[in-house]
Amino acid sequence: MIAVKYFGAIAEKTKSSEEEFSFSGMPLGDLLLALEQKYQLGQFSFSVAINQKIVQHTANYVLKSNDIVALLPPFAGG
Amino acid sequence: METARYNRQIILPEVGINGQHKLQQAKVLIIGAGGLGVAVLPYLAAAGIGEIGIIDDDRIEVTNLQRQVIYKSSSVGKSKVLEAATMALELNPSIKINAITEKLDSKNAILLFEQYDIVVDATDNLTTKYLINDACCVTNKPFVYGSIYKFEGQVSVFNYKNGPTYRCLFPEENSEVRNCNDAGVMGISVGIIGMFQANEVLKMVLGIGELLSGKLLVYNMLNNEQQKFDFSKTDTSTIDKVAFENKYTSVESATIEISAALALEQINNKNVVFLDVRNSEEYPKITIQNGLQIPLDRLESALHQLDSNAEIFVFCQSGIRSKKAVEILRNNNFATAKSIAGGAKALDKILHKGTVSVT
Repeated sequence: MIAVKYFGAIAEKTKSSEEEFSFSGMPLGDLLLALEQKYQLGQFSFSVAINQKIVQHTANYVLKSNDIVALLPPFAGG
Repeated sequence: METARYNRQIILPEVGINGQHKLQQAKVLIIGAGGLGVAVLPYLAAAGIGEIGIIDDDRIEVTNLQRQVIYKSSSVGKSKVLEAATMALELNPSIKINAITEKLDSKNAILLFEQYDIVVDATDNLTTKYLINDACCVTNKPFVYGSIYKFEGQVSVFNYKNGPTYRCLFPEENSEVRNCNDAGVMGISVGIIGMFQANEVLKMVLGIGELLSGKLLVYNMLNNEQQKFDFSKTDTSTIDKVAFENKYTSVESATIEISAALALEQINNKNVVFLDVRNSEEYPKITIQNGLQIPLDRLESALHQLDSNAEIFVFCQSGIRSKKAVEILRNNNFATAKSIAGGAKALDKILHKGTVSVT
């Protein structure tokens, strides 16, 4: 099981703040691509955290069971 | 120093008289006198930060009052920073407040930052956050970041003792995110995030606790969930004054922008093209006879669609992608391309007024 957390405008687009997927061993890049297509996230820029740590090279990481992925867009309001 | 005024914090062992002296010696610059800025300012002033600068060229509008709670209804129309300075000095006359009625830009940033120890980002747009980040890197100042999207807030500390910067967290500069004016916000949300920022400033000056350096705090006001994400220094490119100037003078030259009103004066000029670089699903739709739509990510491969003699006015939603487009165009022999300030919204406003007025 893998959990994906959404923040800011992305949570608004996905209409949920958290979602679970029952697989593991998938490259993070594939998951992100699938999510971008499912929710049309192409317009957003965001950083990705795995288990509360921002990862830079998202494509190569292979997701393990119990990983928590977070999609963090920058906020601009003030 | 008036120790009676600060007694309740001096009696904390973490502060003490030494800590109070540190606060008195500290110089903090607040960028923006909007929702976040006016939350941060009174608490820093009351705590006895010796010198506080606050920069903003805005005037108080009635729509500000629901969240910028230091401003009075009777102050609508007045300069934000002048009003804020008056309030802060009434609160604590023993400190120095520098009210700067300017907009932060690449020309004043470096000189200004050099006069302070800590920079607080209380702005409402990404472009200025990158500018603050870069100017902080040049001047070696820590940058206390706060930002809101509706009921969520982000807080972090960048460039603290050479630590991770805003670019390490969000490397993609050309993204567009809605601010409070567009997305809406409750006054309390900016207040809470402003308090987190003021708290980071005080901890940094006092040298107590753990700062949010290398950590992004995300706070959700609707369910009170608070999460921290770690990030490390990945942007190792160093920027000096010369590199800073080169970077910003290329995109920020005075001739790069044109107002929507002036652009629309050319609406019947056959030699002018109004180039929409948004994606086709974005609103408001702008229908102009000499209009053309090429989304920014396809622009470079579609340059042949443009008449090389045309005068090109570019617009997007708010003016960020259009500046990027102008850079691309100017690098491809469209030397006079300009970005329409305020983008589609500014055009729409004038087009729906029915008259075109020059400002």
